[in-house]
Amino acid sequence: MSRWLERVDWLVLGAALLLIPSLYATFWHGSGRGQEARVWVDGKPWARLDLFHEQHLRVPGRLGDSILEVHDGRVRFVDSPCNGRQCIHSGWLADGGEVAVCLPNRVSVQVMADDPRFDAINF
Amino acid sequence: MRRRASLAVVLLAALLAACSRPPVHHEQLLTFGTLVDVTLWNVDAERGRHAVGALARDFDYMHNAWHAWHPGPLGRVNQLLPTGKFFSCPPSIVPLIRRASELSAASGGLFNPAIGQLIKLWGFASDEAPSGPPPDPAAIRALVAQNPQMSDLELDGIRLRSHNPAVRLDFGALAKGYAVDRAIERLREMGIENAIVNAGGDLRAIGRHGDRPWRVGIRHPRQPGILAWVEIEGDESVFTSGDYERYFEYAGKRYHHIIDPRTGYPAEGLSSVTVFAREADLADAAATALSVAGPDPTAWLPVARALGISGAMLVGTHGHIQMTPGLRGRIHFDTQPPPAVAYSEALQP
Repeated sequence: MSRWLERVDWLVLGAALLLIPSLYATFWHGSGRGQEARVWVDGKPWARLDLFHEQHLRVPGRLGDSILEVHDGRVRFVDSPCNGRQCIHSGWLADGGEVAVCLPNRVSVQVMADDPRFDAINF
Repeated sequence: MRRRASLAVVLLAALLAACSRPPVHHEQLLTFGTLVDVTLWNVDAERGRHAVGALARDFDYMHNAWHAWHPGPLGRVNQLLPTGKFFSCPPSIVPLIRRASELSAASGGLFNPAIGQLIKLWGFASDEAPSGPPPDPAAIRALVAQNPQMSDLELDGIRLRSHNPAVRLDFGALAKGYAVDRAIERLREMGIENAIVNAGGDLRAIGRHGDRPWRVGIRHPRQPGILAWVEIEGDESVFTSGDYERYFEYAGKRYHHIIDPRTGYPAEGLSSVTVFAREADLADAAATALSVAGPDPTAWLPVARALGISGAMLVGTHGHIQMTPGLRGRIHFDTQPPPAVAYSEALQP
């Protein structure tokens, strides 16, 4: 009897061990896609955005308002009171670590992910 | 049996312990005329804030000292250079002049921080990108003919003079790299061994991200998103110069900020150059030198070798990609289908 119980114990233990990688993959590792974005104004945290909550956001910067659009897990600058429009040319950001900045207006947005696909973006 | 059970318990405990992830401190700074992004692995919030605070003060100081068009130490140097007489150079600028002279000589003058007047003539010595039109061709020709070079400078201790009245210093293609090197040094002094300092897309990474190397995405020069990615561990800088960073369009033509000192006009043929090297200042200067050298491998390869960089990826204006052989297998393309790549060993005549 005791031997039979022991075998079940090992089975349970084995199953638990096998479950760990799948739990890790599901809840820990993430896909690298961001779940939220952070907005900074003048180097200070200004807002956190849920990337699955569609919205247009008005962010007051040094020169005026920058407009951010959140759509379908992505975020982008759609307007900003700068000459270069580099922030708008950055386009949609979706991967964790991706960042766009309007330097003249001192507004930046970065996609955050638990396990970002990239630790840094070179450009 | 009891021993096996206790072994299982120990194993399980070890697995659970692995779940407590070391803290990653991540902070952004708007300094040095750009967005500086600092990532520190296995550094808690308080230590991280302290470290990044120190970097912020250093960056602000360097930005003020080395700025080419704001009033400050470099501005004063540029006012005194045309006199041709010896003057006391501010000590904060001396090491930058020495390093710039070394790198300029190694690049055969393609990286040339003595062409401050040309940069200004084009309107790129400004916080906002110019809108055109391009400058008068006669004015460009006149400045190119004066041939300002770093070798025209004579530095004796901190006494400096120029033998060419046309020399004006603009460290736009070096200061960022030099500052990133100082930031990495500062982090190491504070005992931080795993970090990325990313100054407006140009970065140096040391150590690793725990059990994996750092992962760095390289942005596509012509469309939103990532062109390729690379893993870094140990100590390496990745710098990219591109015609998309600062430019204006006039009468349907793009004029960007990387000026060829030989012609006085923006360099042609490449949309981006990504350089790998240990020191960020070398990577920074080399990215400009290779952009100026242009897409012909008989022009850029000797410059890459002379500068001693560890790798380079050049993207032509029509999307054609060339790479040094050392990057084969390291650069992973993110685009489907992956682009055709010419490796430089196959390009040699």
